[in-house]
Amino acid sequence: MTRDVRSYDVLIIGAGVVGCAVARELSRYNLKIAVLEKELDVGMETSGRNSGVLHAGFNNKPGTLMAKYCVEGCLEFDQVAKELDIPFKRTGKIVVGFTEDDKKKLYQLKEQGERNGVPGLEIIGREKIKELAPYVDGEFALYSPVTGILNPFIYTIALAENARQNGVDFYFANEVLAICLANQENQPACYQLTTTKATYIGRWLINCAGLNSDKIARMMGIDDYTIYPCRGEYFILDKKAGDYLKIPAYPVPNPKEGGLGIHLTPTIDGNVLIGPSSEYIEERDNYAATQKIMDLLLKDGSRIFPYIRREFFIRNFAGIRPKLVSEEQGGYADFVIEERTETPQAINLIGIESPGLTSALPLARKVVEMVGEKEHLKEKADFNPYRQGILCFREQPLEKKKELIEQDPNYGEIICRCETITKAEILQAIHNPLGVETLVGVKNRTRAMMGRCQGGYCQTRIAELIMQEKGKEPPEVIYARQGGNMFTGRVRD
Amino acid sequence: MVKKDVLIIGGGPAGLAAAVKLKKLGVESILILERENHLGGILRQCIHDGFGLTRFKEALSGPEYAARFVAEVQAMDIAYETSTTVLEITADKKVTAVSQKGLQEYQAKAIILTTGCRERTRGAISIPGTRPAGVYTAGVAQAYVNLKNIMVGKRIIILGSGDIGLIMARRMTLEGAKVEAVLEILPYPSGLPRNIEQCLNDYNIPLFLSHTVTDIKGKARLEGVTVSQVDEQFKPIPGTERDYACDTLILSVGLIPENELALMAGVELDSRTKGAIVDENYQTNIEGIFAAGNALHVHDLVDYVSLEAENLAEAVAEYLRQGSLPPCPILIETDSLIGYTVPQKISGLKDFQLSLRVKKPFQNCSIQISQNGELLKAKKMRKALPAEMIQIKVIKSDFLTNEIANLRISVANS
Amino acid sequence: MENLTRNFICILCPNSCEITASFNNDGILRNIDGFSCQKGAEYVQQEIYNPRRNIATSVKVTGGELPLVSVRLTKAIPKEKIFEVMTEIKKVTLQAPVSLGDVIISNVLGLGADVIATKDVPRI
Ligand SMILES: Cc1cc2nc3c(=O)[nH]c(=O)nc-3n(C[C@H](O)[C@H](O)[C@H](O)COP(=O)(O)OP(=O)(O)OC[C@H]3O[C@@H](n4cnc5c(N)ncnc54)[C@H](O)[C@@H]3O)c2cc1C
Ligand SMILES: Cc1cc2nc3c(=O)[nH]c(=O)nc-3n(C[C@H](O)[C@H](O)[C@H](O)COP(=O)(O)OP(=O)(O)OC[C@H]3O[C@@H](n4cnc5c(N)ncnc54)[C@H](O)[C@@H]3O)c2cc1C
Ligand code: SF4
Repeated sequence: MTRDVRSYDVLIIGAGVVGCAVARELSRYNLKIAVLEKELDVGMETSGRNSGVLHAGFNNKPGTLMAKYCVEGCLEFDQVAKELDIPFKRTGKIVVGFTEDDKKKLYQLKEQGERNGVPGLEIIGREKIKELAPYVDGEFALYSPVTGILNPFIYTIALAENARQNGVDFYFANEVLAICLANQENQPACYQLTTTKATYIGRWLINCAGLNSDKIARMMGIDDYTIYPCRGEYFILDKKAGDYLKIPAYPVPNPKEGGLGIHLTPTIDGNVLIGPSSEYIEERDNYAATQKIMDLLLKDGSRIFPYIRREFFIRNFAGIRPKLVSEEQGGYADFVIEERTETPQAINLIGIESPGLTSALPLARKVVEMVGEKEHLKEKADFNPYRQGILCFREQPLEKKKELIEQDPNYGEIICRCETITKAEILQAIHNPLGVETLVGVKNRTRAMMGRCQGGYCQTRIAELIMQEKGKEPPEVIYARQGGNMFTGRVRD
Repeated sequence: MVKKDVLIIGGGPAGLAAAVKLKKLGVESILILERENHLGGILRQCIHDGFGLTRFKEALSGPEYAARFVAEVQAMDIAYETSTTVLEITADKKVTAVSQKGLQEYQAKAIILTTGCRERTRGAISIPGTRPAGVYTAGVAQAYVNLKNIMVGKRIIILGSGDIGLIMARRMTLEGAKVEAVLEILPYPSGLPRNIEQCLNDYNIPLFLSHTVTDIKGKARLEGVTVSQVDEQFKPIPGTERDYACDTLILSVGLIPENELALMAGVELDSRTKGAIVDENYQTNIEGIFAAGNALHVHDLVDYVSLEAENLAEAVAEYLRQGSLPPCPILIETDSLIGYTVPQKISGLKDFQLSLRVKKPFQNCSIQISQNGELLKAKKMRKALPAEMIQIKVIKSDFLTNEIANLRISVANS
Repeated sequence: MENLTRNFICILCPNSCEITASFNNDGILRNIDGFSCQKGAEYVQQEIYNPRRNIATSVKVTGGELPLVSVRLTKAIPKEKIFEVMTEIKKVTLQAPVSLGDVIISNVLGLGADVIATKDVPRI
């Protein structure tokens, strides 16, 4: 069997938010870049399975990379959101407490945050809590005005699309299986990557493989990192619950736990998340939800947000933290971003757990800096930092809606009734710049099928449109992952 | 802004029956708005027979039943727009709708909400496990198989014994799939006995009562489920787990009236039916906004949907003539064994149709209507099942005179 | 002496009457009880000696607004013939337009029932 061999300056392994941010930042320069991803879309692992909070940076130890990048990533985000045309809100956040002990911890958090350079932190009382979050319970709270919320899928997609616009190639369904370092004297180092689909050769290797970042490092002969998968489960509540919560509300964190405690987060689209739990597990890709944890979420969540009602549940999901500390050790280890002498021009990003979403771009700039130390980076004259997202019909004023339908009648056809998503938006998502063809790909780009009916009304139509637009037969339509075929065939051939 | 006397939102059997009746009563300015490209509602995918037994004394399929009303709408020249979705309604009866032709605003004197229902989903009942492809609600599976010519799977488990799930068990079997079992968490089936008989028993498909799915397995496509028996509190009983290999899980776990538009206009909903609270005229708390069909409460039989919509039409015609309808201060209360009633309030001035469901199965019982502790009427029933909607015609002369006292509906074993 | 009984659920209408048939020792039907109308009594007779069912399914259509047209039988057929009739129905492909009521297979397998279309499928 012959295999395709493709040559690049930079190979990025993993299309999570970090890999996509690295791709985007490196695409400013004259480099030939490819991103290799084992899944069928970007953001299918941790980057699409988190709270979607742009953290302010008061939870992290002063002096750590986590603290530094988190604060930096948070404060610069207005500009990022503008460039990438993504929804983002600085809602602020409260960490609520009930006891004197809680109060002490909140003051410590405040002080830690101030040392990290987080602006505007304030300890507030019951009255101010009621003002910010009338339905949240708590005696006092730490209030952080700069914390924000964003849609992590859209952010990751936007970074990837902007990178694509600026020349980066994305290869999906390409799981990296082996890495070979050709390191001859007097010759620049070069890496040969074997994936499930092809062979890639690159001078630079950037390991952004998230939960598998230790495995990728091991493929290069670095074997002193171990990722401990730690699962966090969530419930998603209907937008009706969103009316009762406009600001993320967290309990006082237990430092031993290595999570921020079960919290309530409004999503940028108006739903509410309860979670995440924190549970060390064996398998790195076991996203199953369990009854035990579901019960716990309900119980813990109700403590600070008594307004949770069963009828608000629309679905659950889980994410897995790529932790560098075991359950016994507890707490957090700092981000690892390093190039080792024995593997020159290979940069490993390992243990990028929370606040990795917030820190993605600062981490990416660090990668650029490290590459720049080894070779001169020439800026591309035609680099375009602006990316355009799919216009959301629902959010347009009446006159604009009319105009859109006049320009393209497909804006007048509602496909997803719960989220009011039009055929025009679905078609744009099906013809996305990354060439993603899954049903979940359309869902994550448009919010179709995410509403209270969970696709009961629109899924059949969207599957049909994918078949029509991409010339597919039913067995070829994929839900989310390879092997996840939606259908077995026709009723009548 | 286009002006209409009556705007009907939803062109399913409820909307169509209301339109036809209104026209017969002399109302001319009617417009039906339907988001699908055909009239007929959910019936277009219900290709099995068993519709119209009460109304037409014939065993029609869903599409045939709908076609009779569509034919009348067309013969009577009633205006309708298909492929048109209503986005918003307001309390002063402004309606915004979109279609490929553009965005249109309407002002109506009366709005009839016949928007049907949606299915309860996996998330709403929070089944643990992974989230692979191959988990479908029964109505979605039905749409794929009957409308889109797509087979969703070959080896199937059905959770929930609602009618659509039962119908799909038979449908998939006829098309060569193997239905391994139907599971029901309740100790009795939630679908009609005739469907248990002709959809399951005919094809030797086992039905396990007091059982549910406690785990879903498979990373990409469904690979299997774990099934457990449950106790009286619906908690899985440890040690009763059984694993089934399957590629498809079909959920038939309930229908919920679709009322997002109603909520926008400030319509108050009943937490039991999840539909609007209405009076004997099917008028909601917002004057001039009416509701019927599955949007009001989930029906088991389309014949009753049509009947309800026709009763509604009479009231709407009167509303248009008089400009208002008499107040309905008499509330209908229920005992703890009655699931709900529609209407929830009445005027006491006229006959009305009472629809209700019992909460658990009864043998030889009577449904009693009383006022001020005095029994007004009793309906004896050989059996009463939660799956079946019970209809009672209540005649004005049944009431005590000149009394504004609430009616109480109860069920008694006889 | 009545010592054998069989219970039936009448499927002819939503009442779903529970009907009991009793037999004597020689297996001869003695009594039917529990029906609310004549049809129920007839149904049980039929169920004992020659159970019959109607079926509803789809036939492929080309060039139509829908890829399938829904069909049913004009009358019930013996239960054991259901899958044979399905095989016959699967063989057919129609060209749009199809109209409600069109006979698609007449007297299928000589069983005396026609397969008829239950909706219109206009040409596109
Ligand atoms: C429950 C939870 C809540 C969180 N909440 C927040 C929050 O609110 N705010 C915040 O800032 N951060 C949060 N985080 C952290 C944040 O989500 C992560 O730090 C971030 O998403 C990590 O991104 P990544 O790109 O490194 O990893 P990933 O998104 O996991 O990306 C790695 C990619 O590599 C691919 N890959 C793996 N192995 C291979 C291979 N062999 N070949 C090819 N491709 C491969 C994977 O498929 C994946 O797409 C949370 C994390 C969790 C788990
Ligand atoms: C799967 C299934 C199987 C059934 N089987 C049987 C059976 O065997 N026998 C029997 O007698 N009964 C059966 N029923 C019950 C009966 O068919 C239904 O009760 C009946 O169809 C309800 O009619 P409806 O008009 O209220 O709702 P629907 O038929 O659901 O119609 C509602 C209409 O409103 C439209 N609509 C909704 N929102 C909007 C909007 N915003 N703008 C424009 N249009 C909108 C929808 O597109 C739809 O066409 C079944 C029901 C279901 C769901
Ligand atoms: S016996 Fe008559 S009333 Fe009873 S279910 Fe059969 S047809 Fe209906």
